[in-house]
Amino acid sequence: MTALSMTAEQSQAALATDGDMREKISVRNLNFYYGGFHALRNINLPLFDKRVTAFIGPSGCGKSTLLRILNRIYDLYPNQRAEGEVLLDGENLLSPKQDLNLLRARVGMVFQKPTPFPMSIYDNVAYGIRLYEKLSRADMDVRVEEALRKTALWTEVKDKLRQSGLSLSGGQQQRLCIARAVAVRPAVLLLDEPTSALDPISTSKIEELVDELKPDYCIAIVTHNMQQAARVSDFTAFMYLGELVEYGATDTIFTAPKEEKTEQYITGRFG
Amino acid sequence: MVDMAVKASDISAESPRARTQRRNDLLFRGATLFFALLVLTLLGGVIISLIHGALPALKAFGFGFVTTEIWNPVTEKFGALAPIYGTLVTSAIAMLVGVPVSFGIAIFLTELCPAWAKRPIGIAVELLAGIPSIIYGIWGLFVFAPFLQRTVQPFLINTLGTIPGIGAWFKGPPYGIGVLTAGLILAIMILPFITSITRDVFETMPAMLRESAYGLGATTWEVVRDITIPYTRVGLVGGVMLGLGRALGETMAVTFVIGNSHRIASSLLAPGTTISAAIANEFTEAVGDTYTSSLIALGLVLFVITFIVLSLAKLMLVRMNRKAGT
Repeated sequence: MTALSMTAEQSQAALATDGDMREKISVRNLNFYYGGFHALRNINLPLFDKRVTAFIGPSGCGKSTLLRILNRIYDLYPNQRAEGEVLLDGENLLSPKQDLNLLRARVGMVFQKPTPFPMSIYDNVAYGIRLYEKLSRADMDVRVEEALRKTALWTEVKDKLRQSGLSLSGGQQQRLCIARAVAVRPAVLLLDEPTSALDPISTSKIEELVDELKPDYCIAIVTHNMQQAARVSDFTAFMYLGELVEYGATDTIFTAPKEEKTEQYITGRFG
Repeated sequence: MVDMAVKASDISAESPRARTQRRNDLLFRGATLFFALLVLTLLGGVIISLIHGALPALKAFGFGFVTTEIWNPVTEKFGALAPIYGTLVTSAIAMLVGVPVSFGIAIFLTELCPAWAKRPIGIAVELLAGIPSIIYGIWGLFVFAPFLQRTVQPFLINTLGTIPGIGAWFKGPPYGIGVLTAGLILAIMILPFITSITRDVFETMPAMLRESAYGLGATTWEVVRDITIPYTRVGLVGGVMLGLGRALGETMAVTFVIGNSHRIASSLLAPGTTISAAIANEFTEAVGDTYTSSLIALGLVLFVITFIVLSLAKLMLVRMNRKAGT
């Protein structure tokens, strides 16, 4: 497949310019089924550490589905199944032996809409940490502050940590959800259209945030907004009807796409 | 502009169409208001007639009516303490047993149950809700009570009964019928109600919120305990209250298995009575005015208990909401 050859080519090109690039996740011959519906067809692609990879494509193309495989959240639902390999640091996370809770602690996810838990702002952030670590009160305070600072929320909420997470504005709630995901110190961060329910100002804050988080994580972001993909990502994958049409450095995809379909989509002729 | 002016005058306040609309709206408002007031009137009527009917007894016994245990139709001395105690204790047993089991079934159905088993279990629960209480009563008397008498009660007497303190609850001969049996029957009866409401309420939880919790690496138990239950607390309290309301007022099945004795025994295995069981049992034989009035007063007491329970539930919700900060 063209996508596969492109992958290697692109990654090599990138490797030449940047020595510390490491393939964090490798998707290999991945197929996905919703019951009888073949939703993803033979996907191959790398996700690099300390880089942002954007997934674009029209609704129903399978980009969110792909993201949902990376932390196996699809496993919550019967009749959904994945075939192929997804290697996280060389380990196949689709293997039945994979401990799902540990996997999800390593691969954090943020959803289309803010989903604060029905508890205080502090507890929202501390919740994930408490699941896996026994920290003293003081250590926990440090971790919570760290996560809230990373997501640029600290100055806004530091005086009302005991208030409900639901009392925040939509944009703040979404940053709280990112803080919550970041707090458990995952290796990978999956963002599934994280700004689709937000106003432009909150959106740009989230985009800045993605930029600031980049040095520490492997980030995958699904977006409907092509400008957003162009702004925040280093690599872009264009998907269409369950297939990966084109993958490459974001600059290349947006300025000189190799596939006609990609060009049509990014110039707004369909989608 | 001219066109628009013409159109605007078409729907002016004086047009026939606008007048019909206004009239219909008024009718509709009037009708719904009437229905709403009807409920208030009914409630008021029930309260007034209860108080009216209970007045002779309340005059004769005063506040002592709710604090004395004596219930003697021959000397016409009546006190409601034993039925009040029986009502509260059987309901408490029913809730203690029924609520955790109901929550367990609901959690299993929404979070863990394989798709093929969901419908059969769901239907079974709903069928359980459809069984008339008289059937529970007969089954309780002829099957469940003898079973308890032979197996569970001797076991309780020999184990828990020997512990100082709570042992007093499990002393005495195993009658089969009694307060504990009534409480267990009630637990079975309220189970389908609480289960189906709890399940429906759990299903209102947004999929994304659930996924967020699982996405952090939480286990099913952690998600249910920390996210689902707090998120759905209002509905859960509603479901539990509906079950409690039913347990407090359930008559037929309880009458069959409780033993109908106006006595407060320290042991849960001993016979007792509840307010509704006492009323149902004795109304036909209540000859004197004081007797009849005392039974109506019992009804009033049940009404008040239910009201207090509902108020406490509301209060609890307010406090829970304040704690969650919403």
